[in-house]
Formats: sequence, C-alpha cells, structure tokens
Amino acid sequence: MAERYLILEDGSVFKGTAFGSRATTFGEVVFNTSMTGYQQIITNQIYHNQIIVFSQPTIGGAGIERASYESVDPTCKGVIVRDVANVSINRRRRLSLDEYLKSQNIPGITGIDTRALIRKLRQTGTIKGSIIDPVNDLEHAFDQLKAIVLTNQQVNQVSTPKPFPNPGSGKNVVVVDLGLKYGILRQLNKRNCNVTVLPYSATADEIFNLDPDGVIISTGPGNPNDLPESLIAMVQEVERKIPLFAIGLGHEVFAVANGCEVTELAAEHHGNNHPILSVITDEIMYASQGQGYSVKRGTVDRNELMVTHYDMVDGSIQGLRHRDYPAFSVQFFPDSYPGPYEVTELFDEFSEMMTTRGR
Amino acid sequence: MEKEIMDAMAMKRALTRITYEIIERNKGVEDIVLIGIKTRGVFLAKRIAERLKQLEEIDIPVGELDIAEYRDDIHAINHSDRKSNTGLADLDLQGKTVVLIDDVLYTGRTIRAAMDAIMDVDRPDHISLAVLVDRGHRELPIRADFVGKNIPTAQNEKINVLVHEIDDEDLVSLETK
Repeated sequence: MAERYLILEDGSVFKGTAFGSRATTFGEVVFNTSMTGYQQIITNQIYHNQIIVFSQPTIGGAGIERASYESVDPTCKGVIVRDVANVSINRRRRLSLDEYLKSQNIPGITGIDTRALIRKLRQTGTIKGSIIDPVNDLEHAFDQLKAIVLTNQQVNQVSTPKPFPNPGSGKNVVVVDLGLKYGILRQLNKRNCNVTVLPYSATADEIFNLDPDGVIISTGPGNPNDLPESLIAMVQEVERKIPLFAIGLGHEVFAVANGCEVTELAAEHHGNNHPILSVITDEIMYASQGQGYSVKRGTVDRNELMVTHYDMVDGSIQGLRHRDYPAFSVQFFPDSYPGPYEVTELFDEFSEMMTTRGR
Repeated sequence: MEKEIMDAMAMKRALTRITYEIIERNKGVEDIVLIGIKTRGVFLAKRIAERLKQLEEIDIPVGELDIAEYRDDIHAINHSDRKSNTGLADLDLQGKTVVLIDDVLYTGRTIRAAMDAIMDVDRPDHISLAVLVDRGHRELPIRADFVGKNIPTAQNEKINVLVHEIDDEDLVSLETK
C-alpha cells in the first residue's frame, strides 16, 4: 500500500498508509470519539473543511449503506483512523469505506498512532493539517500548509443555494439550512411534517410568507460569530412569533441572538459518550455531539433564557430555552444519527409545542 | 374496550411543556401557587412543582383542594362550614397567581366548584387552569390555559388517568362503554 503523510501546523509528521482518494488536502484536524456511526460522521456537513480523526481504532466494518447519509456530498477533507476494515459484513452494505472515499475524492490515512495524535490535539487545540504524498522536501510542504488560509464562510458554502420542499401532510415547518444534517429531515418526516428548507440567507418575512407552524435553525459548520448580522436579526424576529427549535450551530446562533457570548473551545468536542443532564426532569441522556464553540457560562441573561441542559463531563451549556417565547435550542444532535434514540423526543416536544400554539 | 392515549413518556413531556408554558405566561414564578384538585390533580401539581424547583430553584406552594362540599349537585346545608373542609386553610392566596391543576377537563363543573372554594378562602390576583387532558363537552363557560392533550371524545366514552403515585403506572386511556 502507498505511503502517505499527515503533517500538522506545529511541525509534526505522522507517516501512514493511504486509503480512499489520493488527493492532497488541507483542513483543520479534529477528533471524534464515537465508536459507531462513521458514515454519518463523515457525511455530516459540520466537518466542512476539516480532517476527522477517529479515536475508535477500526472503522469501516459496516461498509457504506444508503440509509445513513447525512448529506449528498460530504465536504470533510480527510479521514484518519488507525485501521480500516476492508471486509464488511453488513447486509445493507453497498460500498466499502475505501470505495466511497475514492468516489467522493476524500483522502484517508491509516496505520498512524491515533492515540498519540489525539493526545497532541488535546494540547494544541484544533490546528491545521494536511494529508500529502511522501516528499523529501518537507519544509516546502510545511510552508504551503502555513500559507493556507481556511475560509470562515463555511455556512455559505454548505447551505442550500435555493429553497427546496420535503412535503408531508402534517405541520408546516420551515428549516433554515446552515449545513443541514439529514437526520433532522428524517425526524420531521417521521412526524409527517410538511417541510420547506430555506437557505441561511432567508429573511424573517420570507419565513412568515410560508406561514409555518414552527421553524428549525439547523446544524452547521464554523464559527457563529462569523455569520451575518441579518441571520441573527432573523432569529430575533422569528422567535417572537413562531415556535422555534435551534440545533447545533443554530443553538449557538439562538444564544447570540439572545445576548449570550459564544466562544471557541480549547479542543473541539465530538463524540457521543458525554452524559447530558436535562434540568427540568433531572434525568440523564446521551446524544451525539459535535461542537467547536460553546455558549460561555455567565453570559446567559437569566431574565431572558433558562439553561435546560448541561454536559455533565465539562459542565458546558447544552440547551437553552426562552422565558417569554416558545423557543428552545440544544447544542447536541437530537436526531440520533448516529447516537441513542432517547433524545429524538425533543422533536416530539417541538411538535407538541406547535400544536399548542396552533390552537 | 380500552385504548391507550398517552404513555408515561407522553405524560412526562406534557407536564414538562405545561411547566415551561406557566413560566412563559407569568413574569417570574415567585407569586405562583399551584392547587391540585383531589385526587390525581394533586399528584400532577406536585410534579409540576418539582419541575419548577429544578429550573428556578424555588419552592412553589402546592395546595390540595377537595371540592366535595362545593359540588353543584350536593347543596350543602351549612354553607358557612364548607370552606374549612377544602384543605386550603393553610395557604395564603391573597394577591397570588393560582394555577389550578386537574387531570381531566370535562363539563367544567369541577373547576367552577374549585374557583368558588378558592374565592371563599381568599382573593387571588389571577386564577388559571392547567389540565392533562381536555375531552370537551363543556357545560359551563370555562376553558383551560394549559392543556397536555386535547382528546375529542363521545359522551359514552370515559377517560382514565393513572398516576404512578397511587396507580403504580402513568397512563391515560380512553374507555368505550
């Protein structure tokens, strides 16, 4: 098998073996601690322009199957794992992971010490990295890596350029796409909602014109502080009139729209092994999480918002709810693709909220 | 024939939503008093009080109201005595926001009785009504402010609400006679 290098901004080199595409790519290197759900993780648009390191030693054992895509075209820049299973025994398998990454032009690298890599990332935080062919002149490769400026317009790149419908015969829901995870649409489909997906540039008036029973602000990649003011203003206007459910990046936008500060995490947090406390019922649940930013504790105005969910490992804020309006948000992914199903109840909560408001 | 309408999860979610709606509808929860109508309304009121405590770290008083002597089909002979039997004697309701809580809203006669009982004790600023199930067929001009679930029913049907505190399980079912 061909040799490939992973080089990092801090000067380190990891030598491994190629799988997937042989392209040379740059991106932020982040690690994910999920033990399952690699297909959903790789196709999740929150990893736009990022290279994903799996802490799970082997992935690929279930191949790639048609029901588990979280986007049509994955936009992550690479996959790093210690060992790739080329034999998969899932009866729903259509492709191997290797074949899939080749078809999507995403490079992978395997056979490197991912434990050492992740330990390093925990210290350095998210840094730039590149997957390259072996070269003698590494200095040149590092110069190139340093010179790369990664865009902060991720949402603009992954949000749908045009509105599209996802028809149903039930409640009318508008989803504002910041880099939508398809699990959200699946959950709405299950509840028979009539969905219209709008680009992130949608204005409050455009939303009101569709006369929705509820609005969802979707997950997405990047920094909420880089998003246009108009998006924040839209959320401020919509939350007063229509039941609102904000998820992931949407949650961060909802927090900013209600006066919170959202700051970068020292190390991005991706996985589904953190217990999350639901404050109101004093119960614990698990969900898949993927966040590079977090609502800063102490900046939540308690006269405006209530904190509804906490991460019990790091104490971070995982859920908010408005005091005056039917509007709530969660940082984690409530669609359970991948992850435990218990959190999908939040979609029932949203659905019942729409029913109540419709009366 | 009995059909399940709400399971334990759905009941929990409904009470959670009602709690959030109570917070939404009232600026601050300091003046709120929850009054559960015996028997099952009391347990629902206690569960809502627990949720408010979790969120707001405040102990909301919970009253247990027995409306027996205020029923409109039993005209008590000694009206002056009846308020001492309601169970509200220890509560200070003057100027408070009362949220009445019952399991099923049907004719509205129970709620009328409950309001009379409350008014005999004190004069709250505001009374609102939360019910787990609204089954329709009102005989008085009363409606709920907070509803767990609307269940359209026929007159010959019966709604059974079970709460785990006394029935060993949480369940709402519809029984056809």
